Amino acid sequence: MGRYVIRRLGQMIVVLFGATVVLFCTLFILPGDPVGSLGGDKARDPAVVAELRERYGLNDPLPVQYGNFVKNLAQGDLGEDFTQRRPVTEILQPKLVNTAKLAIAAIIIDIVIGVLAGLIAALFRYSFWDVLITLLTTFAVGFPSFVIGMVLQKFFVVDLGLFPLISDGTLNSMILPAFTLAILDAALVARLMRGTMLEVLRADYVKTAVAKGLPRRTVLLKHVMRNSIIPVVTYLGISFGTLLGGALITEAIFNWDGIGLALVQAVQQQNNPIIIGVVTFGVAVFVLLNLIVDLLYAVLDPRIRLA
Amino acid sequence: MTELTKSDAGAGTAQTAAVPAEAEPAIKRITQWGEIRHRFMANRLAVVGLIIVGLLLFAAAFAPLLAPYDPLHQDLANTLASPGGEHLLGTDALGRDQLSRIIYGARIAVIIGLASIFLACLIGVVIGALAGYFGKAIDSVLMRVADVFFAFPLLIGAIVIIIVMGRGVAPVVISLAVFSWPTVSRLLRSSILSVREADYVLAARALGAGTTRIIVRHIIPNSIAAVMAYAAFSVGSAIVAEAALSFLGVGVSPEVAEWGNMLSAGRDFLGVKDYLWVYPSIAIVLTVLGFVFVGDGLRDALDPKLR
Amino acid sequence: MRGAKSAKWVVGAIVVALAATACGGGNDNKGSDAKGGGVFRMGITEPTAIDPVNAQESEGMVIARALFTQLYDVSVDGKLIPKLAESGTSADGKTWIFKIKSGTKFTNGEVVDAEAFIRGWTRVAAKASASDVSYHMAGIKGYDALKGGKSDKFAGLSAPDANTLKVELDKADFEFDKKTAHAAFSPVPKVAGAGDNKKFNDAPIGNGAFKMKGSWNHNQSISLVRNDDYGLEKAKLDGVEFKILNPANGSQLEYTGFQSGEFDYARMPTPQLPVAKAKFEPQGEWYSADFSGINYLVVFNQNAPFNNPDARKAISYAIDREAIAKSVFQGMQKPATAFLPPSFSAEYQAGVCSTCVKQDKAKAKEFAAKGGLKPGTVVNFGYNTGAGHEEWVQAVAQQLKDVLGVEVKLDGKPFKEALATQQEKKTSGLWRSAWTADYPTADNFLAPLLSTAGIGEDPATGKAQGDNRSRYSNPKFDELLDQARQEKDAAKRAELYKQAEKLAIDTDQAVVPLWQRTQYRLVNTKKFDGIKMDFFEDPTLAEISLKK
Repeated sequence: MGRYVIRRLGQMIVVLFGATVVLFCTLFILPGDPVGSLGGDKARDPAVVAELRERYGLNDPLPVQYGNFVKNLAQGDLGEDFTQRRPVTEILQPKLVNTAKLAIAAIIIDIVIGVLAGLIAALFRYSFWDVLITLLTTFAVGFPSFVIGMVLQKFFVVDLGLFPLISDGTLNSMILPAFTLAILDAALVARLMRGTMLEVLRADYVKTAVAKGLPRRTVLLKHVMRNSIIPVVTYLGISFGTLLGGALITEAIFNWDGIGLALVQAVQQQNNPIIIGVVTFGVAVFVLLNLIVDLLYAVLDPRIRLA
Repeated sequence: MTELTKSDAGAGTAQTAAVPAEAEPAIKRITQWGEIRHRFMANRLAVVGLIIVGLLLFAAAFAPLLAPYDPLHQDLANTLASPGGEHLLGTDALGRDQLSRIIYGARIAVIIGLASIFLACLIGVVIGALAGYFGKAIDSVLMRVADVFFAFPLLIGAIVIIIVMGRGVAPVVISLAVFSWPTVSRLLRSSILSVREADYVLAARALGAGTTRIIVRHIIPNSIAAVMAYAAFSVGSAIVAEAALSFLGVGVSPEVAEWGNMLSAGRDFLGVKDYLWVYPSIAIVLTVLGFVFVGDGLRDALDPKLR
Repeated sequence: MRGAKSAKWVVGAIVVALAATACGGGNDNKGSDAKGGGVFRMGITEPTAIDPVNAQESEGMVIARALFTQLYDVSVDGKLIPKLAESGTSADGKTWIFKIKSGTKFTNGEVVDAEAFIRGWTRVAAKASASDVSYHMAGIKGYDALKGGKSDKFAGLSAPDANTLKVELDKADFEFDKKTAHAAFSPVPKVAGAGDNKKFNDAPIGNGAFKMKGSWNHNQSISLVRNDDYGLEKAKLDGVEFKILNPANGSQLEYTGFQSGEFDYARMPTPQLPVAKAKFEPQGEWYSADFSGINYLVVFNQNAPFNNPDARKAISYAIDREAIAKSVFQGMQKPATAFLPPSFSAEYQAGVCSTCVKQDKAKAKEFAAKGGLKPGTVVNFGYNTGAGHEEWVQAVAQQLKDVLGVEVKLDGKPFKEALATQQEKKTSGLWRSAWTADYPTADNFLAPLLSTAGIGEDPATGKAQGDNRSRYSNPKFDELLDQARQEKDAAKRAELYKQAEKLAIDTDQAVVPLWQRTQYRLVNTKKFDGIKMDFFEDPTLAEISLKK
């Protein structure tokens, strides 16, 4: 197990390395001087451009720049942003907290709604509730988050005025974006839960447990739940990583001050340090989560042996 | 089961992963397809999906005949006209006919959806087949490459590519494909891993069949089911991703009649002229549902055990 | 503006009549008025900086100007309002003497004297500050040495006595005093330190009508409170709360926030302006003003197909500004018929761009034929994305197609890439652009945008580093600007600027003016009196008071 973790961590570094190299090269071939302009139509004073290029080492060849980036990254330093000239980590940190808040809220919604709905649908198969849940989850998959977000905004903010349009990080302003982010995953979790649970219920060991005369409760909790939850855990682990992608849209719609919105803006402004910072971080989290999920998987399913 | 495929659930088609472990030998292919078709047509939602997809393809193919107006024709004397009258779905801020733009938008959706998934499958099948069949070092290298691309959340990766290539249909197709193929590879590889040891492959090998023949005649046909179901499902996802890119202002050029563009432009009128974003939203949702239904139906038809 | 750097400043004499009376009244007012109070709340987007060392966009300026008081202020119509200057005189236009009001202090108790101004200006121009606003000082002697890091003293600045600031310019400039109203020309206390003093950057200590309450809470908020020791007429408000909004839909948030009572002042998204106007104008909460700016098309003068004035005129004639203003802008933009804004009352000439006055399809075709702009010609039309230009550029493109039969290729790019493309020597076609004045002088439009010096071509790369990206170059125009600058008489000077504008815009059609710069705001007149906007498009915070 220990060796497995070390091997995986090693792979993770390779992936991270590959991703940042790709990103660095990509940004390097973009037209336009990263410190060449101000916010509007005006060009920057050539003297200022020269000073900033010198300060941020933009005149160095790409491998040198990349080397410096890696060296700084190892010390937890993502460099300075070119506009406000503040450390990228300082700029991103509060945004990261905001995105994490949103993602955790979404995951909680996924678990509560998804698992419950899947459970009900599976236990009361072919009942009214099963049909309803199956239908709802099927349709939910078809609604892209930007459509859901705009519909929620239209009804709950513009028409009913129940929630503020300006997200200020409070719980109240978090509800709509969290739901928008969660709906698709909640639906998929419900479908997944229903599917695996039906399979598990048919499995021999459950039949044996029931035949042994174990109480229904024990069978459900110890055997059925434990085995049905594995794919859900996998799925949630993955989706926590992909939530970053989802957060891009959700944060843009609800103006949530997270790293997704920061990325969208940085792309518009070609603010390379922010782009690199967000993407590097996103990829690292994604890869790390995959590892955790795999480990958890092994814990939950004793048949899996990691090597 | 020592290797875990993290992609399976991520694609939203968790059940497809383990598909053809015990699929019937390829010899019975004709009757097998007949039966698959029968099972597919018996699934009501799948048929509805097929009809929607058919209508979409029809609209895309015959857009010039169906659209009442030129989708690019501006009528500055008749801007922001409400639905009804001469313009069934109203006009936008430049007086362009919304209905015509939605019909023409089907073209972009179909082209980008199909082309990107086709490209992703092409790359994915080749790499997945190589990795799955040869295993060992080749597998390891190819899968690490897949990891790098897989580690980029789709939207973020796509944005990065579009920054470099510029906006347009081709960059969108390529960027979606580049970050989707790893899923296909993983699906194929994992199913090959299980098929490789299946009796009929062992039998074929015992009969002296060559490697290429085994891959092409036996392994791919039996592993491809998972890929096909994934592909059908993913066309919908690709269309959503493409609309999301336009929504974020990095998709196809804003003058193109495309649903994401329409949604993005209509967003400024939230609460004032809602029809501007509602109709394109409906078009997107219906399309995605169509492909999801077809994908689900295909999956169930290919592997009846799963439901 | 950047062009000012290369401007040729002129010999002559000018005495700015300074109404010492205008600020005298303020002194007697100390603490006498009891109607003070109230907190004014508004939304802004995250500024680049609020320290005058690098405050640049209107969001940063509104705070920098509340925290710091300069020699002058400017009203929305471009009039200088003396603040700390008791007088500002120049005999030859090259040496300026500013008498500074004595006895005012920074909020930490340090004295505001001539040294404080020298300190502030030097700090902006220093190499290490890498300030984006330092170019405003480019005409002052010793600027290049300071900017280039060869000196740490501003050679052109000196203090003959504590309250006298002497400024020496490289070339005569009779309008230099107008420049000093910019926030970059603020005095700073000794504690300011170098330009990259992060502590001071986030919580500047100034001499303004307001002071910081705490420090800048990045991406969240900035709070100001009244400076009760202010040396001039004190503010009436207790404080100002700036809530920092995401730029993605800042105006939407401001608008909604105003309606729900969270803000006292708000912008609105362009598509919602008509609805907002209908609702708030009857209640007296609608505010509109014309500003010193212009929306126009850069036309790349040196490359085909627009290296011919007739081809450029064809473009201008083909555009129906009125129709687009009415439809796409829903009546909220006014077509421009001149390049200089109406707020420059001495120089403004309505209709000087004769091709702008009315769309004329016949003339457009006639000029196109004369200028070799054949139907089917490919015309590149660039714009920067994500700034709300997507719709109207499509409308303009369509009109060009319809009238001239040219093939317009729209090219949207994020702004850094857009800028790089515009600067390239080989770029051809049209580009959307806009300009707002930094100080109320005609020169601030004509020199950077239309003079040969404004091109600022980098000899190595051929890039246009200046703001004249049309690369219009006419020796006669440059000469008229020179003459204008040498003219000490304001009326005659205005006349020369008018001739220069007519030559560049009407005769040569160097660029294509499109719309004037009009701004709309919602203001909470139910609660506050005296909300107005200044030249920099910000509310005049110091003059706002709670309604009695």
